[in-house]
Amino acid sequence: MKSEDPPALLFLGLCPAIAVSVRVIDALWMSAGVMLVLLLSGLAMELLSRESSGNEARHSFDRGSPAARWMRALVVTSFLTASFEAGLLALAPAASAALGIYAPLIAVNCLVLGRGMPGTHNLPTRRTVVGLLGRGIGFAASLVAIALVREALGAGTITLFALGGFGGTIVIPMLVEQPLRALGFAGGGLLCLGYLVAVSRAISRRAAANPAGGEAAQ
Amino acid sequence: MTYPTKLPRGGVDPPAETLVPRDSGITNAAVPSRALIPLLQHSGKPALCLVKPGDRVKEGMLIGNADGSRSANVHATIPGIVVEVGEHCLPTGEVCTAVAIELGGEFETSGKPRSRREWESLSRLDLLERIRRAGVVGLGGGSIPTHLKLAIPPGSASSIFVANGVESEPSICADDALLREKPSDIMEGLRICQALLTPARTVIALGEQSEDLVPEFERLVRQKGIKADVAVLPSRYPHGHEQLVLAALGSRSPAGEQSATVLNVATLYAIFEAVILDKPLIERVLTVTGSPVSHPRNLKVRFGMGVRDLLEECGGLSSGAAKIVMGGPMRGVSVDSLDLPVTKVTSGIVAFEGLAARPHAELPCIRCGSCIEACPWNLVPTRLFKLVRIGAAAAAEREGLSSCTECGCCAYSCPSRIPLVAVLRQGKHALRGSDA
Amino acid sequence: MTWLVGLCLLPAAGWGVFLFGTPALIVLAVSIAAAILAELASTLPFGRFTLRDGSAFLTGFIVGLLMPAGAPACVPAAASAFAILVVKQSFGGLGRNWMNPAMGGVVFALLSWPGPMSQWIAPKGGAVQGAVMPPLEALRAAMAGPGAKETTPLAILSSSGFTFSDLDSQVLGWINTHVFSPMGISLPPGTFDVLIGHVAGGIGIVSVPLLMLGAWFLLFRGIIRWHLPVMYLGTFAILAAVFGGLGSGNGWFAGGPGFHLFSGSLVLGAFFVAPDPVTSPMTNKGKCIFGIGLGTLTFFLRFFGSLGDGVAASIVLGNCAAPLLDRWTSRRVTGTQGGAA
Repeated sequence: MKSEDPPALLFLGLCPAIAVSVRVIDALWMSAGVMLVLLLSGLAMELLSRESSGNEARHSFDRGSPAARWMRALVVTSFLTASFEAGLLALAPAASAALGIYAPLIAVNCLVLGRGMPGTHNLPTRRTVVGLLGRGIGFAASLVAIALVREALGAGTITLFALGGFGGTIVIPMLVEQPLRALGFAGGGLLCLGYLVAVSRAISRRAAANPAGGEAAQ
Repeated sequence: MTYPTKLPRGGVDPPAETLVPRDSGITNAAVPSRALIPLLQHSGKPALCLVKPGDRVKEGMLIGNADGSRSANVHATIPGIVVEVGEHCLPTGEVCTAVAIELGGEFETSGKPRSRREWESLSRLDLLERIRRAGVVGLGGGSIPTHLKLAIPPGSASSIFVANGVESEPSICADDALLREKPSDIMEGLRICQALLTPARTVIALGEQSEDLVPEFERLVRQKGIKADVAVLPSRYPHGHEQLVLAALGSRSPAGEQSATVLNVATLYAIFEAVILDKPLIERVLTVTGSPVSHPRNLKVRFGMGVRDLLEECGGLSSGAAKIVMGGPMRGVSVDSLDLPVTKVTSGIVAFEGLAARPHAELPCIRCGSCIEACPWNLVPTRLFKLVRIGAAAAAEREGLSSCTECGCCAYSCPSRIPLVAVLRQGKHALRGSDA
Repeated sequence: MTWLVGLCLLPAAGWGVFLFGTPALIVLAVSIAAAILAELASTLPFGRFTLRDGSAFLTGFIVGLLMPAGAPACVPAAASAFAILVVKQSFGGLGRNWMNPAMGGVVFALLSWPGPMSQWIAPKGGAVQGAVMPPLEALRAAMAGPGAKETTPLAILSSSGFTFSDLDSQVLGWINTHVFSPMGISLPPGTFDVLIGHVAGGIGIVSVPLLMLGAWFLLFRGIIRWHLPVMYLGTFAILAAVFGGLGSGNGWFAGGPGFHLFSGSLVLGAFFVAPDPVTSPMTNKGKCIFGIGLGTLTFFLRFFGSLGDGVAASIVLGNCAAPLLDRWTSRRVTGTQGGAA
């Protein structure tokens, strides 16, 4: 299934992915938001579709029709995203400022990641949760990996949470003086994304070539 | 004299040191003691065999009868006894029936003066029948039975008729030698073709190396009262190809329309012999050359003579010879046996020394564009090559793969030594396979 | 063929090493070594050995030639490695890269390390002044500031306090008194220095005459065709002459194309880099259009941009269009009526 290729999914949410992967901390916040909204909206959709299942779709705005399902998904996801934004502004204003205009785009990422999933296959709730969690983790891992590379090489730092005596930023001694600044630009982000997709494709192709290899078996 | 209206583009200039001395003329090769005569020496179907082992044949006797219209007669080139009729491999790799004749008996026609026959009073059909009977095929390389080219629907006329004297390959100069030796007879052949085709325009196209013959031919044109122009065309390879000759003369030959006819000068000479001397096509002029050959020269050779005998005739090979090619150096076929016979399609035999014949490792394409410059057909060989390599022959076809004549200019000019011709040929095979 | 191109670049490289001394030699050696190591690292694991085609060497060499002699060793090394690993081998190696590797590497370095990429070294026998700068950079700085009232680039440089070598003033003094004074002209200071490349700048690009020497050889041997360089330099010169003065408030036809042709990596780019067969169009018509495009891009990037002298960036941008130009300019197949494509 194509949607199991998380880095490739980033292409669809390209704009926020490139923008928030300059610093690791931004990528972490973005990932957290996406995972949270994805999970909650998935659950909500699941429950809503259960409630409406059994009703034959009679015209396009019936509760069981695809159009209605999309509208529901849209409303639910935007509502959850807006809540997350508000929460972030209250609890972590710095992170909120850093995500800026890209925070609302969490909704886009979630719709892309969760497309076709809830409420279409009549899956049991637990499997829905597991599936969505998997996608969320894949997305988060890709985003954070790109951010790690871009920030470490492009700026010579790794920005994390400030915790106790730790100021929140790891400084890489040599690199910070003459970082590969090109990686910090949008072009550098695309470059990293490209390589990540290439690597992930190569791995999945190799796994497909020899199924005895393990992970691909499931 | 006219000049080309459009200078042709593309082509290559291989280092064609003309090893054959300009004025050496044409030597008559010795009559072989044994001739192996394949029944497929033309494009089309093989002729049907008329003899069996033990039969006594006379010189010029019909031994293979044309099978249908797209075929040509084959004649015995030496008198003697048929010793074998069997399957033999041609230089191209095709297998066909061939008749082996041991020399014996008397020469009834060779060396005796032939009476010239009048032809002006003959009808078109009679003329065509004489040409067909003599087994005349295009000697420039196409080897299409000539009567097919000359048979145009009654009442229609050819728009342009070209007597092609531009050599088809570098370092081959048989046509030039024939032009020097038999100008008058060639012009007679030209007149016969004019009578058959009634062309609006006739051009005698000479290569650059024959430029000094222009006054001679203009004199002949005046003397015989022929309506024809003499043109000198660049003899850069492969501009002796009939489509490119037509293009250079400013005449487009749209596919499917039979309005332009191009015949090689050697073919015209064969027509002369067939119609006026009543002599079937049993021999041709060809060039034996290459640095390992002791005495490169133009020879008149009877079909069926083995390559080994022919090389002996030219003083043999030096020890450095590494490769023998039948045909020209660009499009010829490398042979694996010296016992292969000369046929109607053999325009030359070229021997290569070790260094020139050594194959080279293929390097990646660097998109330099040399092949585009070299291609006389305006194709983009590198793109075709890449499409064929990835198995997209159909896409290559849309880019003009079938227009490729396999002239070899692209592969010759490629700095990465990519075997472009071989790959494009594979592509064509793949296309044919998918059609069937 | 590739080795021959490298050979043609040797005189200019030699001049750079002579002017800037050992640091220049180190930069060149590091960039070539990095390119070769990167090539080995990316091909040997796949069982290929490609050093013999010379392309990795040439990429490293050109990267080195474009570097300032004072650049710290890590900069040319990273630029060469980026050129080979990312720009070339990621797409499948020689013949498959769509962007010129050397130019990709240089643009990467310019974007990443603008500081180290302008650590110029004063040429041997050059004027002693505060900040060593190539004339082109100095001109841009002067034009960015107020009060550039002069009309020609060299005059602007002089009035902004940029000094040329003593040799320059001596030679020009002699020529002006003995040759040009009867005609009533005098060459502005700096003419000699800029002409022969006795200035600060990239190691291999300061000496335009020596580059031209190699370029003539390439043209003469048929390794490059004239279309691309002539169109490139011609377009750039015309645009610079007509519009170049607008930026400094001197109006039309006051650009000083001569100065611009002799500074920066223009000549190197036009004769040695842009005609790289892999990344330029294959047809002659395509090469002409490509050259015109590059000239225009370089003009805009040099006069209104900030990325070096605009040559590397414009070649990288132009490379994107090469396959398209091949499509547009392929000819109708002989003997057919329809289009070729």
